[in-house]
Amino acid sequence: MGKRWLKSKGWAMLTLAVVLTMTACSGNSGNGGNQGSEPSSATETAAAGGASGAAATLSIMWWGSDVRHEATKKALDIYSQQFPNVKFKPEFMAWDAYWQKLPTLAASKSITDVLQMDAAYIQEYVSRGQLEDLSDIDLTGIVDPNVLKNLQIDGKLYGIPLSQNAQGLAYNKTELEQLGIPLPHKDWTYDEFFQWARDARAKLPEGKYPIGDTSTWDGFNYYQTAMGKPPIMSDGGKTFTLDKELFMKFYGIYDDFRKNKIVPPAELAASFLENDPQADPMASGVVLTRGATTGSVSALEQLMPGQLGVVNLQTGPAGGGWAQSTIFLSVSANSKNKEEAKKFVKWFIMDQEAGKALGLTRGLPINPEIFKELEPTLEAKDLLGKEIYDMSVDKALPFYSPAAGFSEWVDTYKKEMDAVSFGQQSIEEAFNKIDKLGKELAAKAG
Amino acid sequence: MKRKDNRITHLAGYVFISPWLLGFLLLTLWPIAQSFYLSFTEYSLLEAPQWIGMDNYVNIFTNDSTFTTSLKVTFMFVLFSVPLKLFFSLMVAMALNKSLRGMNIYRTAIYFPSLIGGSIAVAALWRNMFSLDGYVNQVLGWFGIQGVAWISNPDTSLATLILLNTWQFGSTMVIFLAGLKQIPQELYESASVDGAGKTRKFFSITLPMLSPVMFFNLVLGIIGSFQTFTSAYIITKGGPINSTYMYAMFLYEKAFKHYQMGYASALAWILLVIVALLTIINFAASRYWVFYESDGGKAK
Repeated sequence: MGKRWLKSKGWAMLTLAVVLTMTACSGNSGNGGNQGSEPSSATETAAAGGASGAAATLSIMWWGSDVRHEATKKALDIYSQQFPNVKFKPEFMAWDAYWQKLPTLAASKSITDVLQMDAAYIQEYVSRGQLEDLSDIDLTGIVDPNVLKNLQIDGKLYGIPLSQNAQGLAYNKTELEQLGIPLPHKDWTYDEFFQWARDARAKLPEGKYPIGDTSTWDGFNYYQTAMGKPPIMSDGGKTFTLDKELFMKFYGIYDDFRKNKIVPPAELAASFLENDPQADPMASGVVLTRGATTGSVSALEQLMPGQLGVVNLQTGPAGGGWAQSTIFLSVSANSKNKEEAKKFVKWFIMDQEAGKALGLTRGLPINPEIFKELEPTLEAKDLLGKEIYDMSVDKALPFYSPAAGFSEWVDTYKKEMDAVSFGQQSIEEAFNKIDKLGKELAAKAG
Repeated sequence: MKRKDNRITHLAGYVFISPWLLGFLLLTLWPIAQSFYLSFTEYSLLEAPQWIGMDNYVNIFTNDSTFTTSLKVTFMFVLFSVPLKLFFSLMVAMALNKSLRGMNIYRTAIYFPSLIGGSIAVAALWRNMFSLDGYVNQVLGWFGIQGVAWISNPDTSLATLILLNTWQFGSTMVIFLAGLKQIPQELYESASVDGAGKTRKFFSITLPMLSPVMFFNLVLGIIGSFQTFTSAYIITKGGPINSTYMYAMFLYEKAFKHYQMGYASALAWILLVIVALLTIINFAASRYWVFYESDGGKAK
């Protein structure tokens, strides 16, 4: 190890520093993690076959739980049987991973031909020109024209609705009954909900909590709209309304709840992971209620079979919660198989066989005929989803999604409110920061 | 004639390194140049970039509290994890440098975790170990100690990442081990004759003789730590609040989550300047503590 070697090595290292710094983030294992997770089922042989019609391999991506994965794969097989020229290259993952992966695919213009979309994100992807206009697909007799009308963005349809969905609250019925706590009732108000939580606390043992904490924007947006105020973001992000009085009141109540152990402490709340048998707030037995949708409640039911009850979201003078289509199939604007993809997405909600295979894994099927067919065979877990929907319909408000360009604000909201939960700043400080950023973004969008 | 030969030799040389060279030019240098340009633009990835001059840089320095926060977090991380890792890997290397029966087995066993490297698997393992009902708390429970939620508590989350970085000492340790083997045995022998004890030998022979290797590991360690991404991304997602929001994570989210590639490029160039400055300072300081045998045992 002579001096010369080390010296020249040293300068090489400096150059290396430059190179490493620039490349590390893009080349890191972080992005490559999902690459290997593709199932190897019949996908490899796909290119070889296909004698009739133009052979096509459609790539398709969705999020969900295992139940949904299995059902969807079965539906894809059915399609390939009916149309042997079409094969699939499916990719499926959980919600979080999906929305981490999709932006990178969008950036490299390699979004799959067909992809599952959510009402919370569709505006963002449409505004970035990533989704194909599907207005010319004829859905007469399959989807209620009013539903379609509601889903239009600037007069065009970018996602085929798959199901009727609704947001509600699941509760641990078995345990509440054992403890002699009255069960929540349909259309309960925010005041009733808060009082219910206080009363339940008194009957619960140490280490258990009646309700979860809230630190995401939608939790407060439900409250603000239920109280008859406008949604936080409206008009495509040009109007931003954060009602300070309501904000202080709402989070003041939760502050009080934290002190009185009505909601779990912040560090416990931060370690929850929904639908994980050990870390799910409810399945782990720590919290007695949590949010659940028509489409997702069956995953929770599988963790706690027979123990769940459901109720619609708390309401205010203006109503509460939502009940509408929020899960779609979209087609990538960069797809090379647009026609095949369009044919497939229509088939997905039209075909009886597919409908049977898919069941209620994405909520109540949007196609009334398929739903009628399924109704007699519904199981307990499916009925819960239907119950959430039926309870929510009367009082439902529209589904509010973040406006395009507000993804950073959504993150900021959670971080600032987490800082409140951890006792690092006051509610008012958090309000000021969230309000300031929101108004800046609205000014930009205008 | 001679000249022509030379040219052919050179050409052959370039042909041989051409796969690497092409990769470097197309996959490294070109993106670097591109990112420099992009750092002066507003670029959403999906629409064409728009030139906005110095706006990104001005915003970063005057109107972005997350920039300051993530820089603080990253500096804290580097400040603790680099010395800890150096210390720990040197200790392990010294232990593995002893001649014992079956030493190769120990070496392999201890180096083995490093083969998995800074991968997702290790990060996921860490998450399970340090979660509220993870192994660490279970073991603490045997002794009647009520563990905290290491990862989801903002006071301890960064420490768990520092610990992970320290635990991934393998490659640093191997370099130390190679350095230790290079130290001539005569030095120790003559020191023994002069009556030097173990401590004395360590500070007067091992450390000075090892200083070039130490320097190498220090520089690489600092660069590597500044770019820590996987662990923050997989284990903590930068949270809770911003307690583990590493600079690289901030940069990644700006680019791929919030579609601000121009802004993220500016962040990358700022990181580059910071790391380059630190490396230059390191080189300047090295003359005072790095000893090269060929200089007759004196510092440069």
